[in-house]
Amino acid sequence: MTDTVEMKQGGVADKAKEAYFTASQGQLIWARFKRNRAAMIAGFALLLMILMGLFAPFLSPYNPTIAGIDKDYRNGPPQMPMFCDQNGCSLRPFLHTLERKRSLTTLRWETTVNTEKRRYVQFFVPGWEYRVGAFGIDLPGRSFDFTSRGLAFDTHLFGIEEGGIHIFGTDGTGKDVFSRTLHAIWTSLAVGTLGVFIAFVLALIIGGIAGYYGGWIDSILQMVTDAVRTVPQIPLFMALAAFIPDEWSSETRFFFISIILGLVGWPTLARRVRTHLLTERSQEYVLAAQLCGASSSHVIRRHLLPSFTSYIIVDLMISFPYMVRTETALSFIGLGLKDPVNSLGALLQNVSKADVLKNYQWEAIPVIFFVALVLAFVFVGDGLRDAADPYSKSKK
Amino acid sequence: MLQFAQFVLMRAAMAVFTLVMVSFIVFSLMEAVPGDCAERYLAFKNTQGSGISVEDIEAERVRLGLDKPFVTRWGVWIVNAFQGDFGISCIIRQDVSQLLGDKFWISLGICLTALFFAYLIAVPVGIISATSKSPWVNHSLRLVSYLGLAIPNFLLALVVILVSIELFGDSLTGLFSKEYRDAPWSWDKFMDFLSRAWLPIFLLGWSATAFALQTVRALMLDEIGKLYVTAAAARGISGSRLLWRYPARHSMGPIINSLGFDLNRIFNELPIVALIMVMTEAGKLLSDALAYSNDQQLAGAIIFLLTASIVFLNFVTDIALALIDPRVRKGMLG
Repeated sequence: MTDTVEMKQGGVADKAKEAYFTASQGQLIWARFKRNRAAMIAGFALLLMILMGLFAPFLSPYNPTIAGIDKDYRNGPPQMPMFCDQNGCSLRPFLHTLERKRSLTTLRWETTVNTEKRRYVQFFVPGWEYRVGAFGIDLPGRSFDFTSRGLAFDTHLFGIEEGGIHIFGTDGTGKDVFSRTLHAIWTSLAVGTLGVFIAFVLALIIGGIAGYYGGWIDSILQMVTDAVRTVPQIPLFMALAAFIPDEWSSETRFFFISIILGLVGWPTLARRVRTHLLTERSQEYVLAAQLCGASSSHVIRRHLLPSFTSYIIVDLMISFPYMVRTETALSFIGLGLKDPVNSLGALLQNVSKADVLKNYQWEAIPVIFFVALVLAFVFVGDGLRDAADPYSKSKK
Repeated sequence: MLQFAQFVLMRAAMAVFTLVMVSFIVFSLMEAVPGDCAERYLAFKNTQGSGISVEDIEAERVRLGLDKPFVTRWGVWIVNAFQGDFGISCIIRQDVSQLLGDKFWISLGICLTALFFAYLIAVPVGIISATSKSPWVNHSLRLVSYLGLAIPNFLLALVVILVSIELFGDSLTGLFSKEYRDAPWSWDKFMDFLSRAWLPIFLLGWSATAFALQTVRALMLDEIGKLYVTAAAARGISGSRLLWRYPARHSMGPIINSLGFDLNRIFNELPIVALIMVMTEAGKLLSDALAYSNDQQLAGAIIFLLTASIVFLNFVTDIALALIDPRVRKGMLG
């Protein structure tokens, strides 16, 4: 009977149905994810931010780590390139020229805007040199040190003829806030990724052992996990961060912080890995495979892992914003990454001074990026969770 | 009754076991800090002008009991810790429990109040929103919960400080006004404390409320769809009476269970809020001890006390759950 109905509906519905039944799990998840508009928008925003972080050196006109890169423009407000002024329009965006001279009456340096003189924005200009693929490990001790010099480039997306262009303004030392923000996004993402990765490996080992063996091993590991979980993370992290000697280089600091983030963050993940394993292990399809004579390695490879990976990816995605947030909070109170390093927390720390808050609000622009980054992760994580759950259709 | 006592004892034993494990973690951390008390103590003396030798350090180690093996020292520490004695801080050279004293209780009070308010708001709002069909309510609620995560309290604190400087010319930081800071506790001091404590309580409760709201709503949504609710509705019960008597009571269990983790979350925020709000009397001590002075005894004691309060809360909620929820009670009594 169903055949006749399907015949009447015609080829299109038939094809869709067939596509649905033959789709892989990944395709199904993607199809469900696409329907979630908020998650899709967040996904694009996230992708955009990741790309911005990835191409930060190319996109940023100034080197973000050198203090006093623009000595004449400290705490300077944002300069937005414009197309039109009172003298007419131009296709190429431009800025007005700033002129500094010492006032004869107060003897202070005063900046005036000369609206008659235009400075045009140039694209693909040579600027400060950056390296692509440069990678170095400099842990305490010699044996693990490794450096690759990478390729040097000096082309940047935009620059300006003479003088500076600071589209997000500059901070108290004359660093370009736009360049810093882009690099900070990348640093925060990198710390988060490394932290999540370490936590994930630990969680997989500990949760995997607990879930696979069960019994008393499981009970003991659960007790340990629960005990670690009751210790408040940030105070613990603060105590650990106090070990960082001041003379460590910023790279070492960065690795150490990520490692601690991972060491402190594993229990929640481990619990979920264990629960997944325990529930999946007793599912009927596993029993069926075993009855068919499948070896346990086959069961794990072909049945358990695929049933499992999507959940794990979702879990990782959900724990990501917490990592980024923790890093930011720690850098914010001065325990994580410190000023020459550009992390979102280090940038926010700058804003915490009352003077900056009152007079130089543009230095708070990184805050917007931080909020957007966390929100994007949360939305994408939630969307993925709903998409990965095959029974979520009933709930809207 | 006997079985109930057994259950309580069992839970208490588990709580103590967790604490012992936590103390092991904390103690190992304290030990991992480079340089022990003897070295620090004598380094201080060295700056006073009297020369010191390696023998002096060794003698000092013996005097402080630092030459004993790790397990022995841990045992001594944990036994003392359960009696409320955390030894002497080698940096400030003062009794740790004396140093903490009121400050710990004030911090704990603030955190518990924040937790209380978070649920006072989250439970009714969560229940109402779970029953609401309006997409607007649902969307705005989701947004609020997401913002609870995305706007961390330190950002919120900054905004509050900025606004209060603009409006009142006072940054509203600190927990006491100047005139009461060193005064003994009195009614006036208490009122002064309340007039300033609401802000840290609000900041701490901010994301806790957002999380609690989501928990309550999700639990209620799960319960409302169940058959016993339909059955009750079929018997003619409706409106808020139906809601409060059936699904709300059921979802109370998991909510009570999650209290411990919410307190944990608030403790996570405490040092940061304390730092921004210059709460010298409360959490700031914690961040100072942990982060800047490297004071291992003080830091260990604080982390231990914080965890102990969470473990205690978990213990209390477990017992409360057994008293409230007939399913747990039945399962326990066999």
